[in-house]
Parts: sequence; structure tokens; C-alpha cells
Amino acid sequence: MTQRKRLSNTQSSSQSKRQPSSLVAQEEDDDATFTQPSTSQVQRGLEKLTPAQIDQKTAEVVQYFLVKDQKKIPVRRADLVKHVVKEYRNIYPEIIKRASRTFDQVFGLKLVEIDAKTHMYILINKLETAEGISPINSPANPKMGLLFVILSVIFMKGGVVRENVIWNTLKKLRVDPGEKHEEFGDVKKLVTDEFVRQRYLEYVRIPHTEPAEYEFHWGQRADIEVSKAKILEFMGQLHEQDPQSWTQQYREAHSCPSSTQASTSSQR
Amino acid sequence: MRRARASGDEEAPRQNGSAGRRRSEQLQSDGDDGDGGLGPADLQHDDNDPVLRREIRSKYRDLIYSVQQNREDMLSPSNNKLTEVLEQANKLFKDVRQAREAALDAQLLVVATDLGKEKASQLFAEGSAFDPTAFAEHLLSFMGLNRLEDEEDEQQNGGDGYLPQDAWHRLARRAECCFRTAPSFHYMMGSFHAEPPPPKQRIERQRKAPSKEATRIMPTQLKKMEESHQEATEKEVERILGYLKTYYQDDPTSPISYYEFVIDPNSFSRTVENIFHTSFLIRDGLARMYLDNDKLPCIAPVEEGEVEAGGSCSRKQCIISISPKTWKDLIDAFDITETMIHPPSSENE
Repeated sequence: MTQRKRLSNTQSSSQSKRQPSSLVAQEEDDDATFTQPSTSQVQRGLEKLTPAQIDQKTAEVVQYFLVKDQKKIPVRRADLVKHVVKEYRNIYPEIIKRASRTFDQVFGLKLVEIDAKTHMYILINKLETAEGISPINSPANPKMGLLFVILSVIFMKGGVVRENVIWNTLKKLRVDPGEKHEEFGDVKKLVTDEFVRQRYLEYVRIPHTEPAEYEFHWGQRADIEVSKAKILEFMGQLHEQDPQSWTQQYREAHSCPSSTQASTSSQR
Repeated sequence: MRRARASGDEEAPRQNGSAGRRRSEQLQSDGDDGDGGLGPADLQHDDNDPVLRREIRSKYRDLIYSVQQNREDMLSPSNNKLTEVLEQANKLFKDVRQAREAALDAQLLVVATDLGKEKASQLFAEGSAFDPTAFAEHLLSFMGLNRLEDEEDEQQNGGDGYLPQDAWHRLARRAECCFRTAPSFHYMMGSFHAEPPPPKQRIERQRKAPSKEATRIMPTQLKKMEESHQEATEKEVERILGYLKTYYQDDPTSPISYYEFVIDPNSFSRTVENIFHTSFLIRDGLARMYLDNDKLPCIAPVEEGEVEAGGSCSRKQCIISISPKTWKDLIDAFDITETMIHPPSSENE
């Protein structure tokens, strides 16, 4: 209610500020229609604002990201603009630039746009975690263990895996998707809904299957956040085997130019 | 060796499935000719026999179902089940005459191809193969599974051995280094919910409460209460005036003691009510109070002619207080045994 009210306020205020009515009309169906302002537009927008105003807005954006990151669900650009940036949308690129600088220099985090089409952002840790030991004495999140198992199986199986392979593996680990688990609750929901919304996993229907069957892929967040090289290393430890003996996986883990793992693995 | 064979089986239906089928059908019909068992007439007859058609379709469905159900088994490289299924399908296919049956055959082919693809992917893997079952076993060991100890509820899950409470925590801690997850930020003063609490429930409750019936009843009730209350007071005041007048008319010469008039020896609350209602008579000038020779208050109704005369004389006010104690004292002092103003309910009786 209040949000809607606020939104309408911002719309009317932005209407008075900016002349092109077509833009205002577009804002109403916010999502994909938010158009990135041009550099000259940003420049003009910046001239109208004091540095303190821009800093304030940047701080708001930073806080929004931090709070949203608690649940690890990516932030949509449309939501960000609607709830936080609001009438500053004409200088949006500048605000994002400043926010990612803050994350980089103050928090040691990296703001990543995971999907150029839907414009979703996530935060990842820039700092390397030391092997084995958690940097902070925070209690480990058991869900990460579950996620690790699933991602590992997908990766080791070449990137795609049928859901029943996952369910069977989990059953062997005493986690039955049909039953309520004391640690994970509704396992099926956690895996096919929460992990999917967090973009750790993709859960897609296999075409031409009747009844419908599904398979798992790595999600966009996993691609950026999870190190295949380190999974393979752990895998080697578990199997008491040289990670290089999984030739294909080893090659993949150490040769993805797009993802950030490339740099970390070359460091080692 | 086995693997090579398996891959051969799978490649065939994928690449030239239809050709293969046609060939096998031809072979089959050649065989039939050789046997001489089935002539073209028989075939003609089969085409329209609904029982046979249904049987074929049912067999196909069973076959598809069994493939779907035993998928994991069939994937294992140590058996030839896929080949067996394909051979069975070939046998069925020789009787296929109608489009629906052919469609089922095609569906089975999809399932089989899919299986073949997965089997093939097992072969493609260079270097070591990855077996999720072995992986799960290693994980269980890592998580601290004690295979010697048995716990009853763990056995339900099909495994043996006791998995410690912190098993998943242990794994999560080790796996953490594979993730470059941003540590999530929390307020020191408790949690702050990023989303506003859904006001759904409240809305529902509000909607439920003033249901049609309630809205209809509530105002009428209120109105009635107000009306009846006012009316009750007025009625009561009039009733008391009636009593006062009758007592006065019975004997106009003897004064009516105020306390004797007002006090109900059986009920303190009735007494208070009587005092309250009588005060209206005084206020409206329908009754007057005076002190007799013993300085005791008396009450008398005001005659019609006197009303106007009384209006001119100065008004006096006084407050009467009464407590259960003074009430009892008064009852004793005036020796009151009966109420002069009967309660309305008893009057009705």
C-alpha cells in the first residue's frame, strides 16, 4: 500500500522533473522497460544534485543490497530502481558504479550482474577462504553442505543430471526428498525452489518426457560463486585419488575463461 | 567388451532407428513367409481385430513403463537390459498396423534413446568415471558415519550405521571453501525483515467480524438500549409519582416521611434507584420536600395549582448520600418493614 503510494509520488515528481512523457509511461511497467540513461543524461542529472545527495542515495543502495543478500536471492534491477533509486533513476549507472566501489573497497565484496537480460545482481566474496577453516567462527550452514553435494554431482556428471540421480544420491545420505528432514525441512522445496531462486541451481523440464521429468544444471550464481577446481580438489580427497584423474572435469575446472575461478586457480 | 556392445546397441536406434526397424520387420515377414503360418488374409484380419490392437498397445505401454521404472538398473553397465527391451520392442513391432501403435513405438524409442544417450555419456567420460553411489559412501565416511552403531530411526532411512547430529555441519564447513559466498549481514539488534509482514490475515479477520448478521444486529441493539433506558427512567419516575399521589390522597393530612417512602428494606440498590428517580420529581417540580417539626424530611406531591406558584420560589439543591450502613440505620430508626414503592416486576405480578 505505502509502496504503491510512494511509487506514485515518485512518478509524479519525476514527471515534473523530466520532460519526455514516453519515459514516464514506460516506468509504469517497470521491469524490462527501464532504459539505461545515456552518459549525457547521467551527466546532466549529476549536475543538478549535490555530492551529498548522491552519496546518500549510494549508501541506501548499498544497504538495500546487504539486506537483500541475507536471503541470497538476486536483486532485480527493476526492484532496485522502484524501491530505492526512485527519482534518481536518471543517474542510475553512476550510483551502481559507486555502490560497487563501496562493496569492493569497504566490504571486500564484488557486485556482479549475473544476467544481462533480466539485470540481476548478486554479491560475492572477493576474499579467498583458507582451506578447511572457516574465516569467521560462524556456525556452518548445513544447507551449504547439501548444496555442495548437488553441485558436485552435477559437475562430476558433466553439467547436467536427472533429478532422480540427485534424489537417489541424497537418499543414500539419509535425506529423503519425500520426507521432512530435521535439518532441511522440506528437502524437495529447498532444492527445487530455494536453491533455484537463489540461482545456485537450475531445475528444468526435460523436453518430450511424459510424465514430465526434470534435470538439474548449475545456476548462474553457482557459476560465479563456486570454484570447480576446489570441488575437484575435495573430490580427490574424498576418493583418495588425484583430481587430475578426472581428466575432463579437471580441464573444465581449470579452463573457464568467463568465470572468476580462472584467476584463483592460476594463483595456486 | 560389454561396454562396446552396449554402445553399439544404443547407437543403432538413435541414428538409423527407423531403417533398422524396417529391416527387422522385413526379416520378420520373410520369416513368416518361410513358416507359411500367416498369410496376407490373416494379416488383414489382424488389422481390424480390436482385441489384438489393444493387446499390442498395452504391451508397449508396459514396456515403456518398465523402462522408466528401472532406469537406474538399466543404466548400469553390467547388464544388457536395454538390448532386451529393444528386442522385445522389435517383436512387438511386427504386429504394428495402426498409427496409434506406431506412435507408442516411437515413444518407446524416445525413452530408449534417452537411456542410450546417458549410457553413452558414461563411456565418454575420460579418465576416471564418477559414480554417485561411491561418492555418497565417501561423503558418509567424511560426515562421520559410524557403521558399527545402529540407531533405530536411522535404519528406517535404509542405511546402516549411525550418522552424527552435526554430520551436515561438518560437510558444510569443509565445503565452505568451495564457495565464495558473501557473508550475510545481520543487525546486531535482532533481525530485520526485509519484506513487510503480509497483512493478509488481518484483512481476513476484519472481513469476517462484521458479517451481515452482526452489522444488522449491532445498531438496532444499541438504539434499543438507549431508547429503553430513557423510557425506563421516565416510566419509573411516573410510576413513583403515581405512588406518591395515591399515598397523599389516601391521607392528605399526615405527612409522608421521605425516608419511609424511598427506602426498600429488602434491597439497598432498589433504595438507591428510588432516591434517584424521586430526585427527578423534585427537579421537575412535581413533588416538594420539606422538614417537619422533628426536622425530618418529608415529601409531598405538588398540586396542579401550586406548580406555577412553586416556580417562582427560589430553587434549592441538596445532595443525598446513602451507604449500606446508613441504609440499615434508617431502616432501624424508622422501623421500616415494607417498601412503599414496589419494584416494577412485583407490581406486574
